[in-house]
Amino acid sequence: MPRQMGVHVGVLRALDYVKLDPSTVGSIEMATETKDEKTARFERDVMPFLDSLYGAALRMTRNPADAEDLVQEATLKAFAAFDSFTEGTNLRAWLFRILTNSYINQYRKKQRQPFQTSADELTDGELNEVGEHLGMRSAEAEALDHLADAEIVDALAALPDDFRMAVYLADVEGFAYKEIAEIMETPVGTVMSRLSRGRKLLRELLREYAAERGFVSQEVSS
Amino acid sequence: MSCGNHHDVPCVEVLSLMWVYIDDEIDDGHRIEVTVHLQECPPCADHFTAEQIVQARIRKCCTETQTPQELRARIVEQIQAALRSN
Repeated sequence: MPRQMGVHVGVLRALDYVKLDPSTVGSIEMATETKDEKTARFERDVMPFLDSLYGAALRMTRNPADAEDLVQEATLKAFAAFDSFTEGTNLRAWLFRILTNSYINQYRKKQRQPFQTSADELTDGELNEVGEHLGMRSAEAEALDHLADAEIVDALAALPDDFRMAVYLADVEGFAYKEIAEIMETPVGTVMSRLSRGRKLLRELLREYAAERGFVSQEVSS
Repeated sequence: MSCGNHHDVPCVEVLSLMWVYIDDEIDDGHRIEVTVHLQECPPCADHFTAEQIVQARIRKCCTETQTPQELRARIVEQIQAALRSN
């Protein structure tokens, strides 16, 4: 199939990183697969991830219309590039990489809202401080637990893009650091930096919301 | 923050390893050290519990999203169209 979907080269490079599972590699004769078989395989293997891709797209774009466009674009790109996906490798990470790549390119292209980047490498000193400064108690966490879904979503939406995506991929999707590094096309050190800063900022926001709602006192959050 | 007792691995070090531990990105040697520390240090254990509560809350609010049926249908349709067009 011609690459008329304009698949970004970076997306295809995802293949370089994914783990090969020897038990499944080579189990499909890709060369002899018909178009109908490919479509059936795509619908069987990829469509079950649609809800999680849409959920991620919603958090990335922060509005349903853009999320729909993004998922549609990413899914069709994935279909166009599906020949190059190796059966038995990390399909979920591959799909999230296409989604993330599409999102970043779309925002760069449209310039509607500039893609917000804010992460720098953490210094060793900062890395050591991270644990200390979080300092949350379970009593406070239980108070945050009472916040409404909409408030949690608002707090996530308030994070800069690169923080929000790292936090989402780790905390919601449960991707490993290495997978997030591949999805976001950034070194693992940068992922860890974005994660620690993003999580810290997110908790500060949640504490503010909880304080506004009277769940926790401002003193606890200082 | 500290329980005041002596630990083989100090609280500050355990807290700096909190996220790699929670995220299961820690190496085996450090995992055991942190686990032992948490068993004997309630304040540190409480910090870890707190973060896991918040993490679970964030996950819960984001994982019940369903793709609109109309979008799902449109994607299937476009895949079929892409297939026919070449």
